[in-house]
Amino acid sequence: METIGADIVIQVLREEGVDVIFGYPGANTLPIHDRLMNSEVRHYLMRHEQAAAHAADGYARATGKVGVCIATSGPGATNLVTGIATAFMDSTPMVALTAQVSTSLLGQDAFQETDIIGITLPITKHSYQVHDVNNLAATLRQAFELAKTGRPGPVLVDLPRDILSSKCPPAEENAAPALKTNYKTEEDREQLEMIAKTLNQSERPILIIGGGVKLSNAFRLVRELIEKAKIPFVTTMMGIGSVDSVNGYNLGLIGTHGNELANRMVHQCDFILAIGTRFSDRSTALIEEFAPLAKIAQLDIDPTSIGKSIKINLPYVGDIRDALTALLPLIDAKEKSDWLLRIQSERDAINGKVTDTGCGQAGDFIRMVQEAMPVETTVTADVGLNQIWTVRTWQARSPRSLITSGGMGTMGFSLPAAIGAKIGSPERAVVAITGDGGFYMNIQELATISYYNLPIKIVVINNGHLGMIRQIQDLFYNARFNTIELGSKVDFVAVARGFGIPGSRIAVDKYPKAGIEAMVKADGPYLLEAVVDPENYVYPIIPPGCSNIEMMYDRLD
Amino acid sequence: MLKKAREQEQTISILVNNQPGVLSRVGGVFGRHGYNIKSLCVAETTNPDVSRITLTSESDPDFTEKIKKQLDKLVDIINVSDVSGQSYIQRELMLIGVTVKEGAYAEILRAIELFGCRIVTMTPDYFILELTGQPDETAAFLKFFQSFGVEEINRTGSIAIERTKPQRRI
Ligand SMILES: Cc1ncc(C[n+]2csc(CCOP(=O)(O)OP(=O)(O)O)c2C)c(N)n1
Repeated sequence: METIGADIVIQVLREEGVDVIFGYPGANTLPIHDRLMNSEVRHYLMRHEQAAAHAADGYARATGKVGVCIATSGPGATNLVTGIATAFMDSTPMVALTAQVSTSLLGQDAFQETDIIGITLPITKHSYQVHDVNNLAATLRQAFELAKTGRPGPVLVDLPRDILSSKCPPAEENAAPALKTNYKTEEDREQLEMIAKTLNQSERPILIIGGGVKLSNAFRLVRELIEKAKIPFVTTMMGIGSVDSVNGYNLGLIGTHGNELANRMVHQCDFILAIGTRFSDRSTALIEEFAPLAKIAQLDIDPTSIGKSIKINLPYVGDIRDALTALLPLIDAKEKSDWLLRIQSERDAINGKVTDTGCGQAGDFIRMVQEAMPVETTVTADVGLNQIWTVRTWQARSPRSLITSGGMGTMGFSLPAAIGAKIGSPERAVVAITGDGGFYMNIQELATISYYNLPIKIVVINNGHLGMIRQIQDLFYNARFNTIELGSKVDFVAVARGFGIPGSRIAVDKYPKAGIEAMVKADGPYLLEAVVDPENYVYPIIPPGCSNIEMMYDRLD
Repeated sequence: MLKKAREQEQTISILVNNQPGVLSRVGGVFGRHGYNIKSLCVAETTNPDVSRITLTSESDPDFTEKIKKQLDKLVDIINVSDVSGQSYIQRELMLIGVTVKEGAYAEILRAIELFGCRIVTMTPDYFILELTGQPDETAAFLKFFQSFGVEEINRTGSIAIERTKPQRRI
């Protein structure tokens, strides 16, 4: 067979170490889908392009590699949009390939033509439309390079059909044009010394761990820093698991749905070292009152993340791993401090005050699920109460073991992301936790799971409502409930069975063990529907417009 | 996030790859941050692969600093610099159409001479005038002729160039 553009695509995928892609074909992708037959790249046929993007995202988050998805022009491409935006907000390295109408038809409103470059402009790190098959290899290489370097993110490559089918010589090696290198900053030794000095002199330091720690693979260094400086840490939602959650220095999740201890101690600390976090509004709550006593040092590779919302006293732009490697020797080894004692007494006081995790029986149930699963389990959490219950009760024991849509909060993420995570790390067990609302949003992926017989454990926490919205209406709209009831007519177990997946239903407050055991024992996929009271909310929470220490414990607060 | 504090006129010069779509990427950054562009000028540089975008806006300098960092992240942007300062020469070209009433002839002709502007074309009651100047000159010019009745204006917005030989080649 003569080489065509589609072969170049596959050749570059192989060069980049891609062995799996998630996608959906259409007439315009066919040159690629056709040539995939003779390649070592496995293509997973999802049941919706949004799910293909989420699966590529889940794959990337589980493995640290670039996730790849492919869709056809027009509706295929637009269906990717939510998935691309989700990856963008959480800085997932991803390459999205979209087919396009032939170059001769561009701009003519041809069948299934859409300006996907224009549509995705604000939600991609960069995008390309290829107009010459001789630039194809270089463009694709550049796309991969961009997706994974600096602050990672999704890069879209739009591939007109005639480019994919035109004959060409095989791609030359090393034909990648030099990339703009605005991320490579020089080490600013003086600033690192200032940061170290301020940390060494501080009495009440705290580390904030953001998603950047995962993205830069800086886990070991962060752990060393914690142990050397005896510095307690909090995490953002994206930072969970970067350091083992059961680590004694862990104070929990900060922010509007965070742990009381984490929020309180950040409020009292005198120094914050923030690593790979942009201080999003979810983490800081009312920004004016965030950490009022603290000097803040921030390490981030993206200069625009520094001081975006909050004044930073000691900014440092650079790769987190390089920065920490240089910083560690400058940090004094500390002994136990008064600060740690104070934290311990706060911890005891909070534990004495509230009897549960603030997640009620749903939280207890999720804990039981984790206990029944192997230690090496990856969990994906959807969005809503189920997300908060999961991130607050699941003990993430390793960095990539908890996957959720943080920045975008995309309902329907957990099921397709679990598919990507399972395919990326087949040796690990995978549990997808979702609410009933989010489950409906990508329910068709049960077919993908069943078709490929992926042993994913699906836990649908069914409260018959859009639970998180219900809580907001209950607390802040005088319990005027509207447009949030999903009802109880749908039999999820029967639905799963229809897709070829066994399952069972339990109530979280009545012997959930039997159902959990059946799920764990099942060889293949399994759906466990866990019925929970719609008033099982999350507490404490920070009401809108309040600071991180103005916590609300129940509706009477 | 529309910033109102400490607003002043800023001129930014952006070197970009001379490619389709680049202007919409640049414009997108401004639009998403609620930053209003007052004037915009785009042209090729000594290197035909590189274009220069010069734009002005009224904004808080801290905010402009944030926008510059955002622009710097765009792959097709080569360099962003603030060219508002003394080390740059700024010029703008302005065309205005002025109504000329009877009896105002002498005064208008005198003003044309004083401002050093050119009559591009004229009919007995309507002049098209052209002026090139620094932003404060074009502003004074416009203000003056407004008292006669300016029917139409078109202006390029500022462009700027370094006073001294540039350090690096594009
Ligand atoms: C795609 C999408 N649409 C709407 C929302 C707004 N939203 C956030 S949480 C939530 C309710 C989620 O309900 P469910 O999936 O049943 O989970 P629960 O909160 O009950 O655990 C909604 C509608 C969203 N985050 N994502």
